[in-house]
Amino acid sequence: MKDIIKFFNEIGELRKVIRRGWILIGAKEPATVVDHSFRTAIMVWMLAADKKANLNMERVLKIALIHDICELYAGDMTPYDFHSILPKDPKKWPELFDKWPRFSKSKKIKSFVDKHEKEKESLLKLISSLPAKLKKEIFNLWLDYEKGLTKEGRFVKQVNRVETLLQALEYGRESKKQPYRSWWVGTEELVDDPILLNFIAELAKEFNKK
Amino acid sequence: MDGKTFYITKEKLKELKKEYEELLEFEHKKTTGEEAPKIFESEDLNPEFISFQEDIGFLRARIDEIRSILENYKLIKSPLKEKQCFVNLGAKVKVDIDGQKDEFIIVGTLEANPAIGKISNESPVGKALLGHKVGDIIVISSPVKTIYKIRNIKYEVN
Repeated sequence: MKDIIKFFNEIGELRKVIRRGWILIGAKEPATVVDHSFRTAIMVWMLAADKKANLNMERVLKIALIHDICELYAGDMTPYDFHSILPKDPKKWPELFDKWPRFSKSKKIKSFVDKHEKEKESLLKLISSLPAKLKKEIFNLWLDYEKGLTKEGRFVKQVNRVETLLQALEYGRESKKQPYRSWWVGTEELVDDPILLNFIAELAKEFNKK
Repeated sequence: MDGKTFYITKEKLKELKKEYEELLEFEHKKTTGEEAPKIFESEDLNPEFISFQEDIGFLRARIDEIRSILENYKLIKSPLKEKQCFVNLGAKVKVDIDGQKDEFIIVGTLEANPAIGKISNESPVGKALLGHKVGDIIVISSPVKTIYKIRNIKYEVN
């Protein structure tokens, strides 16, 4: 039981890990990994409840809950954090979000592999003291999310992006600043689940009302 | 998933068939009380199967999912030469996006991973590019306007 308490203490620290994208746009009250994971799990539950989704509810919820716990030691990374594209002056960071960052195929693969390895190492450190059964389950669920091994893993990966888009729209509305185009573009290149495409279409209607 | 066609590459088909056979063997051993295959006893963290040890319901759902894919798949192949000027599944497409250069491969949903340049043919961008040729300009405005200009189309699949 001591080991599990240690694990609970550690994941509690995720409430202090601020999501990097919100730092880069200078959000006043930037959401943390806990904020994001909580809403992602709620969204997954509600959206996966549609019978057409035909998903294993327990599995999608577990994936949603653990998908970002690796960020405790690895930190949160955005596509803007790779290949030195961030200007030194933080005042210029929000402008970057007008465009989705584009890289060559080799650079994309390198940043994907580097991020994956860093997060895997962090996750293994975090779960190292858990009983073998739990350790294996968490690692398996995370790999499913990372690699899209099952329809459950692929669904949560897409909800993760949609939650981020929703948060970006909320920040845009609160700050009355740019709508941060990049999140729309990134979402349209990733999401292909029919339920989530409908959800995004509704979000777009809300967005156009402004 | 009923009635849906899954577009997959030869590599993905091989991978799915292997997983399917291993899961069937595992399910058989589990239900007959035989010893699990060695792969499941390993202390190594096996990525794809380890959680099935405790969850027979999910194991069966995964077997059904793969069976459905294997019954409803189409292999992604290069189109005939005269049709290779159009974007289709398997195409490697070079584009200008609002002045920035990028490159995508159009794949089916099972293999999509935009982080490494693989875009699903069912995503808004993948769908919009299909059927277009070099020089075409595609405008996606849902709700922000993004302009994709096709610079090059190439097929490398067998």
